[in-house]
Amino acid sequence: MAGRNACIVGGGMCKWGVREASYIDMAQEAAKECLDDIPGLKPGYIDGLLFASAFVGRRSVQINTAPVVAERLGLNPTSICARVDVLCASGSTAILLAKGLVESGMSDVVMVVGSEKLYTPERWQVQYDEIAAIDHDWDSPQGIGPPPIWFALTAKEHMKYYGTKREQFGTASIINYDYGFSNPNGHFQRQLTMDDVLNATEIAAPLNLYDCCPLSDGSAAVIIASEERAKELSDRPPVYILGGAQVSLHSVTANWPGEHLGEWPHLRLAAEKAYKRAKIGPEDVDVAQVHDCFSISEVIELEELGFCQKGEGGPFVESGQTKIRGSIPTNTDGGLISCGHPFGATGIRQGIEILKQLQGRANNQVSDAATGLTHNLSGANAEHTVVIYGSEPGK
Amino acid sequence: MAVSGIPFLEGRYSPTFDLWPIETKEFNRIHTFYDNLREGKFTTTKCRQCGRESYPPRVICPECYSDELEWIELPRKGKVEAVVEKLGGVPICFEPPLIDAWIDLGEESPVRHVLSRVINCPPESLKEDDKVQLVVFDVPSHPIEIRQETIMAERVFFAFEPVK
Ligand SMILES: [Zn+2]
Repeated sequence: MAGRNACIVGGGMCKWGVREASYIDMAQEAAKECLDDIPGLKPGYIDGLLFASAFVGRRSVQINTAPVVAERLGLNPTSICARVDVLCASGSTAILLAKGLVESGMSDVVMVVGSEKLYTPERWQVQYDEIAAIDHDWDSPQGIGPPPIWFALTAKEHMKYYGTKREQFGTASIINYDYGFSNPNGHFQRQLTMDDVLNATEIAAPLNLYDCCPLSDGSAAVIIASEERAKELSDRPPVYILGGAQVSLHSVTANWPGEHLGEWPHLRLAAEKAYKRAKIGPEDVDVAQVHDCFSISEVIELEELGFCQKGEGGPFVESGQTKIRGSIPTNTDGGLISCGHPFGATGIRQGIEILKQLQGRANNQVSDAATGLTHNLSGANAEHTVVIYGSEPGK
Repeated sequence: MAVSGIPFLEGRYSPTFDLWPIETKEFNRIHTFYDNLREGKFTTTKCRQCGRESYPPRVICPECYSDELEWIELPRKGKVEAVVEKLGGVPICFEPPLIDAWIDLGEESPVRHVLSRVINCPPESLKEDDKVQLVVFDVPSHPIEIRQETIMAERVFFAFEPVK
């Protein structure tokens, strides 16, 4: 293997929600928060930029975005300057790419910034635009661009094959809203009761409003650097990117790789590979940020990531295992459900939360957290991305 | 048709906002799929070299990369494995109720399931295990410029409907 380790050095995000700001305004806010988090770092020390955004080409009418972002952030990249789009996993993908660039010696200090302005002046586009987010020619005409229908089918299948109960995945929303209540940068700061969840507006049965993450405007930024530079730039304990994997086994829903929609073999494969790279197992993970685009998604992800047995995600969540003193505290900053979901920024927000957990400075701190995991799925569940972080370098 | 805020786009076609595929042979090498749909046939491609049947239709075989492909028919009938209805808040391109089903095309089919809208179906009537069949319908045509001329490209698409 390469002789260099890659570290996440610091990070920051702007206020997420429906923002009176453009994608490039928010990228500047997040970059400032990020550099304020690393007092030793000046923009001139940054030699690479990866910009994560899925919808900037459609809703902000800017492709070839990286030079625009570099200029406005005062960066003069000399190793890499590129945009990354893997929809919901754009941010975590850019972090994995930055790790590779740093480990290979091509880059030393990379800023990874994600930003999305999803709310357009006329609101019809916010939902309608998702015709471009899944396989356009085959799935969009069937009405699943906006994902609730697809994940409602997934929920029904999981209920059918494993006996999962509606209240069990509803519990994931309550727990994540509880975590997000104390996160001032998230989209929402409120708490929910089971009655709130069960009696909320129906989106696509069995999913109600609070089972679904909102779409949000927002931006987040992190610095990925070589271990040597990380130690020069920050006095905080280094956090290493130990491993990761991204798996894509299909695009059109008809080529779904599982036996049924409640079985996600592509996530299982991504998790196995990421654990192998990091030389750990699921039992070693102290804190996780998983892609709770819907409450049911989190339940299934906990299973496929190996935190509980397959099919037991419902009872696992219901029994409080994802709470701060549970066996795997999950979505400790509020997750997508409470923080919101500006696609390209989400994986970066998750990385920031793991960084803070592993440095002992998170809002909802897991005691002695030393290993963390992030996960994203993209589109109509067509791709899975896992990143593993640790406070010790890889073995 | 006026375009708010962008007056010079009045009457002009922008694929950026088109829900439906550009199907015509001038832009799409698998246009035969849509020609077959017009005849009520649900088809895909099969490799003449290795026999691999793949959906959606391709220009090359995903198994052996041969470009010698032939068209085969898929089942036109299936069984509802799961169904979801969205009664309100559907995107502007669809009328409520938006009904989607995960449809089992049977063990013999090269593709076991398809996700499809179910149309010609009253709300809250479709159930698991119900039989559904392919239905083809016209979707809006769009202009294409061919040398000096502009013609309208007719289009169709498919969904499923309950078997009566
Ligand atoms: Zn072949």
